[in-house]
Amino acid sequence: MSSQDAAPNPINSTQRVKVYRLNENGKWDDQGTGHVTVDYVERSEDLGLSVIDEDDNETLLLHRISSDDIYRKQEDTIISWRDSDLSTEVALSFQETTGCSYIWLVSYRVNQTWTIYVVCKGICTLAHLAVSLYGSNSIYETFHSVNTELRELPPVELSNLPLILKTVVESGMADHLRVTELILHDQFFFRKLVELFRVCEDLENIDDLHLIFRIVRGIILLNSSQIFEKIFGDELIMDIIGCLEYDPEVHHVHHRNILKDQVVFKEVIPIKDPVVISKIHQTYRVGYLKDVILPGASDEPVLANLNSIIHSNNAIVVSLLKDDNSFIKELFASLKSPTTSTESKKTLIHFLHEFCTLSKSLQMVHQLRLFRDLGSGGIFDIIADILQSTDKKLVSTGRDILILFMNLDPNILRSHVSLQEGVLFGVLVKSMLTDFGDDTHCQFFEILRTLLDQNTSGPQKDTVVEIFYEKHLGQIIDVITSSCPSNGDGQIDSKSVSSDEGSMSQTRAKPETLLNICDLLCFCVLQHPYRIKCNFLLNNVIDKVLYLTRRREKYLVVAAIRFVKTLISHSDEHLMNHFVENNLFKPIVDAFVANGDRYNLLNSVVLDLFEYIRKENLKVLLKYLVDTFWIQLAKFEGLSSISALKVQYDQSLESTGTSSSGSLLDKRKRIDERALEKEEEDYFNEDSREEDSASANTDTTNNGESLPPVLANGSLSNHPTPRSSGLVDYDDDEDDDNFSPRPIKSKSDEDELGAEYVLKRKLASKEELEAKRLQRSMKGLKPRGVLKALCSNLSEAKKTAATATLSLPQSDANDDSVKPNIEEKGSLTSSDQTQTAEIENHNQKEEVPIIIFADGSNETVDNRDRGDEFPLLPPNSSPEMAVRGS
Amino acid sequence: METFVDVSVCAVPTWTAVMINLLIRWSWRPRWIGARHFWFAFIALSAFSVCRRLWFSRSSKAEKPSTYDEVDSTSAVVDLRFEVFESAKMADLDRQIEQLKRCEPLTESEVKSLCLKAMEILVEESNVQRVDAPVTICGDIHGQFYDMKELFKVGGDCPKTNYLFLGDFVDRGFYSIETFLLLLALKVRYPDRITLIRGNHESRQITQVYGFYDECLRKYGSVNVWRYCTDIFDYLSLSALIENKIFSVHGGLSPAISTLDQIRTIDRKQEVPHDGGMCDLMWSDPEDVVDGWGLSPRGAGFLFGSSVVTSFNHSNNIDYICRAHQLVMEGYKWMFNNQIVTVWSAPNYCYRCGNVAAILELNENLEKQFRVFEAAPQESRGAPVKKPPPDYFL
Repeated sequence: MSSQDAAPNPINSTQRVKVYRLNENGKWDDQGTGHVTVDYVERSEDLGLSVIDEDDNETLLLHRISSDDIYRKQEDTIISWRDSDLSTEVALSFQETTGCSYIWLVSYRVNQTWTIYVVCKGICTLAHLAVSLYGSNSIYETFHSVNTELRELPPVELSNLPLILKTVVESGMADHLRVTELILHDQFFFRKLVELFRVCEDLENIDDLHLIFRIVRGIILLNSSQIFEKIFGDELIMDIIGCLEYDPEVHHVHHRNILKDQVVFKEVIPIKDPVVISKIHQTYRVGYLKDVILPGASDEPVLANLNSIIHSNNAIVVSLLKDDNSFIKELFASLKSPTTSTESKKTLIHFLHEFCTLSKSLQMVHQLRLFRDLGSGGIFDIIADILQSTDKKLVSTGRDILILFMNLDPNILRSHVSLQEGVLFGVLVKSMLTDFGDDTHCQFFEILRTLLDQNTSGPQKDTVVEIFYEKHLGQIIDVITSSCPSNGDGQIDSKSVSSDEGSMSQTRAKPETLLNICDLLCFCVLQHPYRIKCNFLLNNVIDKVLYLTRRREKYLVVAAIRFVKTLISHSDEHLMNHFVENNLFKPIVDAFVANGDRYNLLNSVVLDLFEYIRKENLKVLLKYLVDTFWIQLAKFEGLSSISALKVQYDQSLESTGTSSSGSLLDKRKRIDERALEKEEEDYFNEDSREEDSASANTDTTNNGESLPPVLANGSLSNHPTPRSSGLVDYDDDEDDDNFSPRPIKSKSDEDELGAEYVLKRKLASKEELEAKRLQRSMKGLKPRGVLKALCSNLSEAKKTAATATLSLPQSDANDDSVKPNIEEKGSLTSSDQTQTAEIENHNQKEEVPIIIFADGSNETVDNRDRGDEFPLLPPNSSPEMAVRGS
Repeated sequence: METFVDVSVCAVPTWTAVMINLLIRWSWRPRWIGARHFWFAFIALSAFSVCRRLWFSRSSKAEKPSTYDEVDSTSAVVDLRFEVFESAKMADLDRQIEQLKRCEPLTESEVKSLCLKAMEILVEESNVQRVDAPVTICGDIHGQFYDMKELFKVGGDCPKTNYLFLGDFVDRGFYSIETFLLLLALKVRYPDRITLIRGNHESRQITQVYGFYDECLRKYGSVNVWRYCTDIFDYLSLSALIENKIFSVHGGLSPAISTLDQIRTIDRKQEVPHDGGMCDLMWSDPEDVVDGWGLSPRGAGFLFGSSVVTSFNHSNNIDYICRAHQLVMEGYKWMFNNQIVTVWSAPNYCYRCGNVAAILELNENLEKQFRVFEAAPQESRGAPVKKPPPDYFL
């Protein structure tokens, strides 16, 4: 035994093993402790393991390494096998886990034959364990240096296949690089392998084909980009795919036949560049390999690598094609040409879609340029054309192309829409409303949403929004009116709507379309609160949306009510008065009452709305609700939210009684201070007196006067709203004898807390208003609209504080400390952009009426009244406003 | 043929009734000439309506079931047509359920119509849905379709056993679509037999991160199905109350909610918010060491201690709270002196946690029995093979 001389042991303890044998009783006998070495067995070519006793240097074990897979690893330190010579089970228990690696390393030095892998199969893993444990220490270095000694691959021959397989598959992580290097180094490796494969396939040598399958899969799992480059080349890829057909675990699928015969490569416009064509084919095949052949076998990094190949290929193809001027020209020419058949036009559109999809692989800048080029090339006209076709698939392809454009940069489409006065826009709106059978409208809805989104930058967005409101909103509303059952008393005829396409022969829309419309309207309310307000106030649209409450589908009823809540959540005084004047809560309360005691979503939504009104203390609405509907609501008094509504109403009646006297004092003081501004003050007083006398007559006539003719639809006379004395005890006021709660309306939406402020405002100077506006814009910082949820939380937090039964450790039960927390959180969670946009909108909304107010002194009363309905105001009356408004 | 029989069975008795009516009226026909005219007109109208009805019953066989928003025709006709539609619908639904039970997803348009039907049913449910015993309560499923089939094997098939699922149907597992659609189809088919409530994963934001979104994109090539499903999520109820004694919710309690009545005023049709009562119901966890309320490591919801549960149970007069939301290796776990129980129904969670799952069976007398089960052995762990496109341009 010369092993110890050949390979001196660096550390004895690592080679120290105990040898066990299984005796007849099924127990392990301890054979003694010794040092293990690997060496040639004397007088033979085979390798053996020998264990020399540490005490008496006797051979405890001599084992001829078998090429069969008989070795097992138990725990980290035990290797056992069934020894055929001794005809019993033998186990080696290592003192240290690192010992195993030493065995392997030492033996490796002694003999570089590949067979050693067999015995080291179990040991190998231990070696890796040691490496990972000891990191870069000497063991690893020895290990590594040994590894590089793997100088060549076994020659690619049929007899060597198992060996190659073992090299490829069973090499450790560190070996991967070396094996990869070797495979790449051998120019003929794959060629030979493929030749072998062909031979085997001809001979139907299934066993070897399975071996080749494993080798190829192993090579792919090596995950080397260079190897991929080689095997996915035109010459090799089909054979590689062929090799992968012979998965022993899956029955044979003829992938090559599928790829060659079943899959069609459609070349709509002839591609001249052979590089492009070869890349296109390669991309498809790699994709096929990834998705169909290898989905279970490959791991994450391999998938990622394959994806990146596909990605970069796509980028190359698209950029080569887009730089080929003649190609794009030809494409558009044949798309626009009248001679092209419908069938080939269809394929062209599908091609265009794929082209646009793949351009995602380009860099952002290039993609943008490409899309702009396509846009100026007239792609949108083509899409507008195909969206009107009857072929569902074509329509959805066109839609998908649009979505790609929208996702990249909505401004390309916006500029088209704003310039062309929207052939496409109309088509889009129509598509959203039209019934495509099973097809989806929600994507058109999505496109419209993106078009109307105010949070993106872009010069055309306002124009687009303008066009939408002018031309299309009416059309959308018409769909609602025409698909809801009329209420019998002939309140409003759809003809009264000023709509460009009143002739739209819209039969009943599907409920899901109506649902989408409702969502879109809510979105508009959040995005363009001012513009939509004008639109709604002018056209009495809220009323029409509330037609939905007559629908059978509860979710539509609920959607309509939610729309109302979205409107109210802007706490816009003007809007709220509109609600009161037109008795717009009637359909809601009716729906609620009709729902009865059923505790469903409708019930919850209405209660949520009432809770909101109560918590936000929207006095106008609170008063209106209780005054008008208490008879109906009284039977629901058992519900805490309803009774709370009443309580709050009673409280507000009481509290305003005292506070108005306070405001009176306040007012007197101000009279002294502001004597200089007598003129203006007089003017205000005069105004309100005149108005008061008007409102004193009847509510309805006032309504007719102060609102544009569109509104004078007699809806009020249909729903005479009983009005009791207001929230404020107006008798206190000496200036106004018959003061009614109405004048709030005819002023601006400046007021916050109702009539009380009107009194103040009569005497208020501009400065005072300025101050108040400041205060209001501070309020604008408060989350609203998008941050509605946060708001409601705030009120919930308040409630918690009020009940004070629960203690929050992270926020003490105090309104003031909770509020900033939530605001901070809101700005963190939602995008800041949204918030600033909100504030912007809010400010805009706030400022405009004030300007009108200031200018109003030069106008007639009538004009000022109309000034509230901002768009009716002649633009020259306030240039600043006109700029802001558009 | 069957529909025809259905129709005639419905039509014949009504028709006979009308005829008898006519006979009686004939004997009582008025003498005065004006009244007689009026009477004749009335008879003619009835005869017309009978004819019309027969005509409709014939034509409705051919007609495809569509939206039934037309209320203008006489109610009898509507009822009749409705019945025919319903039976056709049910047959279609049964076919879809069978298909889903084989783990084959529905087509996009089938999903859409299923979701619309589900919407109509779910909108009628309350935020605290009343559930009658006997019922079997199940926790998180997380797209582990084959494990859910195992659950049905252990607990019994759906119409035979009443079920209450506590949310988190999607994400993480490989078959979120099939899992959720099967449950939804069962809900539409047997609305009174199965109750689904919302979990924190039934949300647009969460599903985009934890797999449901990607699964829809992978299996359908577009996100439409994800859109339909997430729209439906908004309608799912928030909690359930079994025989007024057991409160069931996905996550736990909220500091904003001390009585069940407070849940009533939540407009649940919205994305799961980042805070507030609705969020907490889906995100909170009970915790031993916490007294009162504590910050949740999940970033949403709260941790709540035993005192919170005691006072909640007391003030709402309930026996205990049943919830899911947290992995428990044993499938179920009692806490706080049997005041709250966690039920977890995803065995070998994420296909690697090695846990067992449980469902809680309650009989008519609300006696509890936990049924523990293990992961389905045959579940194929690999993601299903994607179909290659039949042709390509680039």
